[in-house]
Amino acid sequence: MTQFIFTFLNGLTLAGLYFLVASGLTLIFGLMRVINLAHGAFYLLAGYISWTIADKTGNWLYGAIVGALSLGVFGTLVYVLLLRKFQYEELRVALITLGVSLVLAQAMLAIFGGEYYQTNIPESLTFSVPIPGLGLSYPFFRIFVLILAIVVAIGLWVFISKTRYGAIIRAGVDDTTMVSALGINVQAVFIWIFFLGSLLVGFAGAVGGTTNSFGMGTDGDYLLFSLQVVIIGGLGSIGGVAIGSFLVGVIGQFATGYFPTFAGIITFAMLILILAFRPQGILGKKQ
Amino acid sequence: MKIMNRKRVTYVVVVALAIAFPFITPDPEFWVSSGGTRAIWLGVAALSMSFLNRNLGLMSLGQLFFSGVSGYIVAISSVNHNVKFGTSVPLAILAGTLSGVLIGWIALKTKGVYFFMLTLAVTLGLYSFANQAQEITRGHTGINSIPSPIIFGMDFAYVTPLYYLFLGIAIVLFALCKFLEKTSFGIALKGVRDNEDRMISMGYRTMPLKMIAFVFSAFIASIAGVMGVFYVTNISPDSVGLIRSIDLLVIVVVGGATYLGGAFVGAILIAVFEAIIQDFTQYYVGATGILFIVVLLLAPQGLMGITAQVRARRAKKAGASA
Repeated sequence: MTQFIFTFLNGLTLAGLYFLVASGLTLIFGLMRVINLAHGAFYLLAGYISWTIADKTGNWLYGAIVGALSLGVFGTLVYVLLLRKFQYEELRVALITLGVSLVLAQAMLAIFGGEYYQTNIPESLTFSVPIPGLGLSYPFFRIFVLILAIVVAIGLWVFISKTRYGAIIRAGVDDTTMVSALGINVQAVFIWIFFLGSLLVGFAGAVGGTTNSFGMGTDGDYLLFSLQVVIIGGLGSIGGVAIGSFLVGVIGQFATGYFPTFAGIITFAMLILILAFRPQGILGKKQ
Repeated sequence: MKIMNRKRVTYVVVVALAIAFPFITPDPEFWVSSGGTRAIWLGVAALSMSFLNRNLGLMSLGQLFFSGVSGYIVAISSVNHNVKFGTSVPLAILAGTLSGVLIGWIALKTKGVYFFMLTLAVTLGLYSFANQAQEITRGHTGINSIPSPIIFGMDFAYVTPLYYLFLGIAIVLFALCKFLEKTSFGIALKGVRDNEDRMISMGYRTMPLKMIAFVFSAFIASIAGVMGVFYVTNISPDSVGLIRSIDLLVIVVVGGATYLGGAFVGAILIAVFEAIIQDFTQYYVGATGILFIVVLLLAPQGLMGITAQVRARRAKKAGASA
């Protein structure tokens, strides 16, 4: 029973992290039809940057802010310099971002080497909270990640479906020409979306680099997680990311806890099964 | 007719050069294996991707999954269970090919970038399985010192026999692809690629057509997987990892993703590039990444498509000035 509850809590908090990671990917795709396969490399880069800043300043929050912001700027640069011209050629854009991930992987290996890193949890958050009825406690920081994910989820939803900016973004995606004719600079809107999406993965890298260790190869792992999450949940839907993260996080943890050898296969079988019935993912729109 | 002849001449010249290669290359010890054999192996792996992209318009990163399935089966059965290659190789190719039915059943419901993402996830899934399932795959260490095959008393541990074996396989598979494209199946396939809805309304059942093409490409990829095991003599999760997937993609795109020959042009280029840069291996991945991005930005049709691209640009200029 204890193992069951711990596995469930681990899965749930991991789902929070997956949500933070994959929400940027789905946001950019959902609004711009651009799929960024350097997403895992972005995550890892943010991890390194936040670790460095947190290590130098001794302040976790500075690390997280700098990590998120620098990825936001970096992502925007990648978009403006490499992707914007081909924005409507989906596959070509996907391939270019894969190339970006190769170059990034190499650069990060050259700078940070093959060791694994993990950022320290801020001291004020290192305590554990008791689980009622069991006499056990659970590290608060992991619960904090879940809370962050929920806050980001609500924030994104309100921003996109309730605010004026969100309305402009949605309109700009549906009919670029018409929105331009209304005097709105659609190119600037797209840049802001890319900035926001990259900022999110940067923040995820800072948070995930604190709960889990990271290093060479982490980029591929998190690209896989994000792809699984958005494929299962439905590409382009924030709600889909929430459902996908929950399934991949919780089922993945149970699989790792109870059948370690076949953990990968179990998540994979789930993905196949869901796609067999809903090729567009659980909340995805028909292609 | 004239074009036909020119094409035939090209094939003859390329095959003749390939046969003569071990005798005319400088430093054959090095170049036959690290250049020739390697390029043919990578070329066959890339061919399975090009075939699908050219005839169905689908770019698949799942090919490494099939290679991985067949490669791991050969490696595990021969090293752990002493199964003879005569048994394990056909079984491995069969298993790799059949796994194409399962993946195809799911992936072929999607198109374009979805298909690309899904097949990437499939390959990454095998990578994480190979890493985790240590009892079966020996995890990150992988399975090493796989013996080389001996066929009719000829030991393929030697460089030159292995080169000619691979060359033979590549020629047969390339010819098979060309042949399939000329059959009514191949022509129907191009119809599906260009306009699936119209093919459906003409009474074609398109799913079986797509499935056969996909499974055929899985068959080629499975053969490439076995070739990889014999060439590298080991297999590890990195053999099916993200970097290797992208490597294959780079070969296909740089060579020209809509040409069958592009697979081999790209493979030769990458093999030579790797061989030259191997004193600076730490830069290899980044250098390929930059090469890949440059090709995508400037010549998306790849090397095979450059003449067509230049011609089109000239025609456009001429049209604009007229």
